[in-house]
Amino acid sequence: MAARAVVARRLWQRLVPAALWARPRRLQHEGPPEGQPERSDQPIQMDNPYKDPPKRCVLCGINVDYKNVQLLSQFVSPYTGSIYGRHITGLCNKKQKEITKAIKRAHVFVKHVGSWSFDLAVGF
Amino acid sequence: MPRYELALILKAMQRPETAAVLKRTIEALMERGAIVRNLENLGERSLPYKISKHKERHKRGGYFLIDLEAPPSIVSSMMDHLGRDIDVIRRVFVKHPVAKAEECNGIIPVSPEEKLSAKKN
Repeated sequence: MAARAVVARRLWQRLVPAALWARPRRLQHEGPPEGQPERSDQPIQMDNPYKDPPKRCVLCGINVDYKNVQLLSQFVSPYTGSIYGRHITGLCNKKQKEITKAIKRAHVFVKHVGSWSFDLAVGF
Repeated sequence: MPRYELALILKAMQRPETAAVLKRTIEALMERGAIVRNLENLGERSLPYKISKHKERHKRGGYFLIDLEAPPSIVSSMMDHLGRDIDVIRRVFVKHPVAKAEECNGIIPVSPEEKLSAKKN
């Protein structure tokens, strides 16, 4: 008898739209009524205001040019003329690549990259 | 038109001859439709290594920089033309490094998840 009632109710549920089974609007838990200002005690979403600014490498913001031989010589060994690696210069990806390309271009354009002492090796 | 920079190293010569070389170079450039913006003299100095060119061993050279705007077809023809000039030791055509506003934001730390997701460049 009870089972038959349950089955009947289930069939009845399928015929009636689900919206009628929902809790009526006035009994649902809503936020504060529209008249009052938002005074919820939930935290406001924002980025961490105490976050450090992103770390910058030594050449961040400096334009790297193949003609600027003095700047380029800082990243070249004064003894062998070899270009220092990223683990020594501490430059970011982009700037290390720019420096390497500029040094190689300066070599092509016969610009002496390195210290100007005559007894040290020139490196190319 | 794209901007180029023509870096020239000329043989160490007297002033009137250097002027003549530069004049005919710029005339050749203008003939091929280039607009010469600026000509800079970076001075005459001893080269870091001896260069043998046109059957001569050069130890000193005058460095010049020509700033120009030209169609891209000029590059190969000018390199050919300058290669035949005996007074030019070295010629280099470079895209003009226009000093763009550096918006370098610093080193943005890569999260470990990104490193693990094996992205190929």
